[in-house]
Amino acid sequence: MFRKVLIANRGEIAVRINRACQELGVCTVAVFSEADRDSLHVRQADEALCVGPGPVSRSYLNIPNIISAALVTGCDAIHPGYGFLAENARFAQICADHGLVFIGPQPSVISAMGDKATAKRVMHEAGVATTPGTGILDSVDEARAAAENVGYPVLIKATAGGGGKGMREVRSADEMERAFTSARSEAEASFKDGRVYMEKLILNPRHIEVQVLGDSFGSVVHLGERDCSVQKPSHQKLIEEAPAPRLSPAARDALHEMAVKACRHVGYTNAGTLEFLVSGDDVYFMEMNTRIQVEHPVTEMIFGIDLVKEQIRVASGEPLGFTQADIRVRGHAIECRINAEDAEHNFAPQAGTLETVVFPGGLGIRVDTHVYGGATIPPYYDSMLAKIIAFGDTREAAISRMERALRETTIAGVNTTIQKCLEILATREFREGRYDIGFLPALLLSTAAAH
Amino acid sequence: MSETLVDLSPTVVRVGALIELFNASGLSRLVIERADERVEIARRPRIASVPFAEPLAAEEPHRIDRLSADLVGIVRLSRPMPLQGETLAGDRELAYVEALGIRNPVRSRGAGRIVAIPITDGQVVDYGQTLFEIDRG
Repeated sequence: MFRKVLIANRGEIAVRINRACQELGVCTVAVFSEADRDSLHVRQADEALCVGPGPVSRSYLNIPNIISAALVTGCDAIHPGYGFLAENARFAQICADHGLVFIGPQPSVISAMGDKATAKRVMHEAGVATTPGTGILDSVDEARAAAENVGYPVLIKATAGGGGKGMREVRSADEMERAFTSARSEAEASFKDGRVYMEKLILNPRHIEVQVLGDSFGSVVHLGERDCSVQKPSHQKLIEEAPAPRLSPAARDALHEMAVKACRHVGYTNAGTLEFLVSGDDVYFMEMNTRIQVEHPVTEMIFGIDLVKEQIRVASGEPLGFTQADIRVRGHAIECRINAEDAEHNFAPQAGTLETVVFPGGLGIRVDTHVYGGATIPPYYDSMLAKIIAFGDTREAAISRMERALRETTIAGVNTTIQKCLEILATREFREGRYDIGFLPALLLSTAAAH
Repeated sequence: MSETLVDLSPTVVRVGALIELFNASGLSRLVIERADERVEIARRPRIASVPFAEPLAAEEPHRIDRLSADLVGIVRLSRPMPLQGETLAGDRELAYVEALGIRNPVRSRGAGRIVAIPITDGQVVDYGQTLFEIDRG
């Protein structure tokens, strides 16, 4: 087991990683930007070093300062969290070059699977059904030509993308130029990689993903699926749940089997998620995220397994502590992302200082957060304040418990998505488990029309 | 029937009691008014007495430059070691920050007097950490 791990991230996931390390008896080093000096993970880690000013590219993406911080504090490993450098194969290689273990898959696997366009090709080779589309597109003209083949409507997507960034829908040829250029610049700004590819836009599919874990001894297990179809128009997730409601046993088994098959094909190690689009009975592989994901808690709750600890164990050379036969689903879990956003005005991000903060509790409620009363929200980063996770023996119990928890939650000082989450949970579509990625955009439109 | 403060000694006793209560309270002013009497108790801020002195000659404020690290690494003072109070005639290398095997010089960026060296040789430094404070005069 490692002696000391550097957490190359911020916010709630940095708190999460710090907790897993502490429970494993591993010392932690936090890195922070000047804007995050008073952040919770900085206070909770054993050591903390400032790596740059507020802007992301000069701090959380500052590879030299992060590597140097790990070396001068004597770290064995670096946990990259999600976003930032988590799927940066070059960073993973640099870690290895400096004798630091990168807690995640091997650089070559990150390259193969983290690059969305390449991943689709690899999956296709593995015999996994993929969404119709193209490889990297270099020009607007190439994109237009490709769209004629694929058939409108299409989606331009960043190959290094995630979190809904660098994605644009294109319904016709005259929308292509604007969509192509803006997707590229958003991708460049968010991931330092402006390359984009194209996929057929499947209308209103469900977004269902499968959690996997692999160790360095060839073991691969899946930890079930999550339904992440409640997404804002920007494709950013808002509510996730596990297991996915209304999924036939055949479709469920197919998703799990494809995920494990894909992982064995590439020799996948550490944690990862395979995302699929499900439309009726059709299941298409969309992309793989070679990292821990924001919504990992819902999987942890239904399996009783600490995924971040497993990541650390696997990276330190231990085998997985369980086989597929050892683990079973129990109950149902839902997660609501509480963001500092004005849900009534296009989820415009809010910055400022929080006043009173009260989080819910009680049996079956988990809160993953980095904020506290009086904390300031810097303007440089994503707007997520907290994740509230509700567990229940049944889906109905989990929903009911989540509603109770959201009503208990107070975050004063900024607008948040609490009310919007309550509104979503109260809809017939959500309660019946009959929703796809068109659901929330439609709900927002109808609410706006009513005002 | 309201009481009136006519007899003096009871007045002194009553006001004295009031003053005691007032002093023990956090109030800065208390006014009690009745038909034929008024009591006001107020705290006066204490002004420290300033001894009479010659007015200071008008002086330019000193400009203190903070030289800070923009890297994470280990700071090593240059030789000859810069000392607190030392006057620098011009631009000079004061130290370097060792990061990833590369020496990154920290220069004085001009003349001045070193007023503070809040770091020690061989110490880990992070982004924004003050290495030298220089009075440019």
